[in-house]
Amino acid sequence: MNDPFPWWAVPAIVAPAAICAPAHAVQYLTVEQAQQTLFPDADRFVSQPVELSAAQREAIEDYADVRMRTDTQPVWRVEAGGRQIGWFVLDEVYGKHEFITYAVALDADGAVQGIEVLDYRETHGGEIRNARWREQFHGKQYGDELDLGDTIQNISGATLSCKHITEGVRRVLALHQAALR
Amino acid sequence: MTILRRARPLLGTLVEIVVDDGDHPCIACAIDEGFAAVAEVQALMSFHDPASELSHLNREAWRRPVSVSRHTWNVLQAAQELARRSDGLFDVTTASTLCRRGFLPRHERVPEAAADADWRAVELLPRHRVRFTLPLQIDLGGIAKGYAVDCAVLALQRHGVRSGRVDAGGDGRDFGRQAQTLHVRHPARPTTLVPLLRWAGAVATSAAYFSRRRRQGRSITPLIQPHSGQSCDGNRSVTVLAAECMSADALTKVIHADPVRGAALLAHYGARALVLEAQPGSDACRLFDSATTHRAPGRTPAPERAHG
Repeated sequence: MNDPFPWWAVPAIVAPAAICAPAHAVQYLTVEQAQQTLFPDADRFVSQPVELSAAQREAIEDYADVRMRTDTQPVWRVEAGGRQIGWFVLDEVYGKHEFITYAVALDADGAVQGIEVLDYRETHGGEIRNARWREQFHGKQYGDELDLGDTIQNISGATLSCKHITEGVRRVLALHQAALR
Repeated sequence: MTILRRARPLLGTLVEIVVDDGDHPCIACAIDEGFAAVAEVQALMSFHDPASELSHLNREAWRRPVSVSRHTWNVLQAAQELARRSDGLFDVTTASTLCRRGFLPRHERVPEAAADADWRAVELLPRHRVRFTLPLQIDLGGIAKGYAVDCAVLALQRHGVRSGRVDAGGDGRDFGRQAQTLHVRHPARPTTLVPLLRWAGAVATSAAYFSRRRRQGRSITPLIQPHSGQSCDGNRSVTVLAAECMSADALTKVIHADPVRGAALLAHYGARALVLEAQPGSDACRLFDSATTHRAPGRTPAPERAHG
């Protein structure tokens, strides 16, 4: 055997240019579902959006070392049996490829109790023309019909960093410090 | 409405848990347990967290044998076995190179790594103790994420979930499911998804599209060829299919480091590798599949199929 690993010598397939599936997007939770998931014992969520003054905004940026993009932050005061048990803060972050809506649960003292992702969207990938790609698999070693419906369940991709969420949570903690104490 | 799919930021990425089992008595509890299993692995094996068991090991194991938890032991044992089988193509001691290149943080009170330190300087001793025979640092980033996925799957199954999926930024595992179309990202355009094949089981993909950076005018990636210390090819993604996510995760690094020698290990792990490579100057990509059987060795290789 002069070439014991021919798999690496010849591509099994050469994919043409337009093989793109639709941009990936998942809605995990609505705001109400996120509230119930993060605070299962709560009986009341009081919407209390925070309007930041210029000074508060600056304090937050100083502390978190992250830019505040808006002056308003959607926040709910969380109550159980008439007593405040925490805060529910809704936030959004975006990176080069993705846009994420998530919620942070803070306890009454402002410590992070939990984080849940509500929405994940990727920027559009490009053209959608699957037919040619799919054709190539017919009767080939891949055999089975690919299910190319609208819902993409399985994506295997290198790790997308959650750096932006980490920065966002730091900003939410600074916001609590500046406006919710 | 019952919530069957949730995601949380963990392991430096987004971890998603899906439960298909609509009849399960407490889906929320089961998903919470799945996330707790992932969080436990993170707390033990995070390189970034100075309070993790791994950081403790990196500070102390050069001075004296250190006892570790069952989880850390399982991962180290698997890592060392793969290092031995691959003659060091898998090596958890490349951490100091990653620190120097800015892919991992530098910690205080960690000894400077010896130039000749590699996986052979990590000794696994009886009673779950670990010792480094040279000053070095370990990073389990190439294997622990897959292990965390396996742990989360076990946690869900222990809570009576019959069918679902756990995914940690692209390292995922199905259980009790029909095969579904697996998509991978185009190595040169990561928001473009390429439908690949139908699969049920564990899968891991490694590529540098989200992590590569420029350093001194050159593109570098956190995927290190342990023998040369060079960055692996940034225009290539490696996907490994296996029964367990930990082996799939770790084998992607071996295939990146050396596709030919790496492929020889796939059979032992019951795994299959698929490599997607961007074609320079076009949007097309080439797919290599370790399960492809071309004609008998020695003869002309089969012509490229299907040019689209």
